[in-house]
Amino acid sequence: MREWLFATLGTAAAVLLVLPITGRAAGGEPQAFYKPDTPKFPQARTWVAQKAKLPPYKAPRTADGVPNLQGNWNGPVGGGNDDLEEHEFIDVTTPPQESYVSDPPDGKVPYTPWALAKRNEIRAGLGRGWPGESSQRLYGDPNALCLVGMPRISFGAQEILQKPGAVILLTTNTYRVIPTDGRPHMSSDAKSFFGNSRGRWEGETLVVDVTGLNGETWFDSAGNFYGPNTHMIERWTMVDPNTIDYEITIEDPTLYTRPWKMNYPKRRAGTGPGANPLSTNAVGAAGRAPASDPYAKEFWEQTCTEGNHDNVVILKSLGFKWFNAVVAPK
Amino acid sequence: MKRWFVLFIAVVTFACGVLAAIPVAAQTSYTPPKTREGQPDLQGVWQALNTAAWNIQDHGASLGIPAGRGVVEGNEIPYTPAALAKKLENLKNRDRLDPINKCFLPGVPRITYLPHPFQIVQQADRVTILHEYSRVIRFIYMNGNAHPAGHIDWYMGDSRGRWEGNTLVVDVTHFNDETWFDRAGNFHSDALHLVERFTRTGPDHMLYEVTVEDPKVFTRPWKMSMPLYRRQEKDVELLEYDCAAYLLKQEWDKPDSPLLR
Repeated sequence: MREWLFATLGTAAAVLLVLPITGRAAGGEPQAFYKPDTPKFPQARTWVAQKAKLPPYKAPRTADGVPNLQGNWNGPVGGGNDDLEEHEFIDVTTPPQESYVSDPPDGKVPYTPWALAKRNEIRAGLGRGWPGESSQRLYGDPNALCLVGMPRISFGAQEILQKPGAVILLTTNTYRVIPTDGRPHMSSDAKSFFGNSRGRWEGETLVVDVTGLNGETWFDSAGNFYGPNTHMIERWTMVDPNTIDYEITIEDPTLYTRPWKMNYPKRRAGTGPGANPLSTNAVGAAGRAPASDPYAKEFWEQTCTEGNHDNVVILKSLGFKWFNAVVAPK
Repeated sequence: MKRWFVLFIAVVTFACGVLAAIPVAAQTSYTPPKTREGQPDLQGVWQALNTAAWNIQDHGASLGIPAGRGVVEGNEIPYTPAALAKKLENLKNRDRLDPINKCFLPGVPRITYLPHPFQIVQQADRVTILHEYSRVIRFIYMNGNAHPAGHIDWYMGDSRGRWEGNTLVVDVTHFNDETWFDRAGNFHSDALHLVERFTRTGPDHMLYEVTVEDPKVFTRPWKMSMPLYRRQEKDVELLEYDCAAYLLKQEWDKPDSPLLR
């Protein structure tokens, strides 16, 4: 019965199966569907140009005298992080969009030749019906199995909380605690999906150094990847009362020819282009409730794995392999 | 002499009776520091140090499971006869039936005494508990809102808190029936109602008490209590235990995994 079902699954159905269902679990918006004539979403190129024109800004301080980043913040506005690099309309879930990559200026991830070939191989095996695919299914987006890792968690919305010696990032179903008390990193041999974060304040900026990443999740759902030797440095800077410039530098000489960066604005919930001013909670399941709803600001239980069993079974049955961390040959 | 002795015994007995009647929480004379918002400060990284995750009642050891004193007051759980039969069936088949095998949200109060640390973070109108286990997060609202209208089937329930003196009291409802109390098959229905009490008893200790009510499963309310310990290691922090990811990775390449069909 199940075999019959799979035999009848066409490419279109396969596309639906690998939708990044946890784009939402990670705090993002529910999946949207786009028309081919959707205007190109602005990302890094537009934001970097806008940011250059902003006057200098000094954020209000917390009781501890550091910039106060607290509140609810949205992820980047656009068609999701379905494909990090600039692209035209690919399908209904992948509208045209500028690259998230701000450096190098061409918006391309500066893969080594070996790593680029690997990325292209992964991309050709996504089974999404995208142009240039091989006929073989290789890996599904780890996010479709409810695997969440850095830095994709930051692409969603989150609440920022500050305590003496720590910055805490909250979504409805996960969190990061970033110590800012000067403690050293753990050994980078201790691998994890979120890595080991150490923060410090440099003027207006929260700088977070992330090591110990396991490299088992992707930057997007199109197979752009990092590895177990990758080092990430985030810079969170308020550039006006309702905007954080999020910058992340990615370093890994085994996979990239040079360090590279992404930038995007995170807008305070209820502000920014296209925002619903009545929506006060970017993060919660009640996030689209009007502010007059007494529960509008609450975070309610949001599951992923618990409701994802059928999706997992189908992805496995379609022949997708488990994505293990990629290590470049020496 | 004998009369004096009898009187002495009577006084001691009375005193013991009075002491026993005082709730454990009230016995602490410790006054915790206050947060900036003026509330008792429960913040920090805490962990239970007991065997309740395996069995909340007194139990002997078996392979991989240490013997342990139970955390149930009086040790007896007042199951209805039908529920007791189900509990025993659960116990017999626990290796197969324990819902935690699936790495789903483990429910309350089990999450509190899993062998992983958790961090309490306070704001004026919300207490948040961050658990290392699967990065589970519990929001305890103290914003004046009642439990939302329901019934709602949530693994971790809906938590509403209040302060009683220095004790954080949390009322939890809106559960589903898909979690257990422990590895020994102790279970509940969706009618579960908990009242948890968190009371600091010293700089590095906190008393955790839970009153359990579930008329579909138990004939009367019953209670658990245990100390929680502040983790003392320098630079202690929550690390990562992504249960679902490790499970999937283990099962993915098995041709006929019972968990992936």
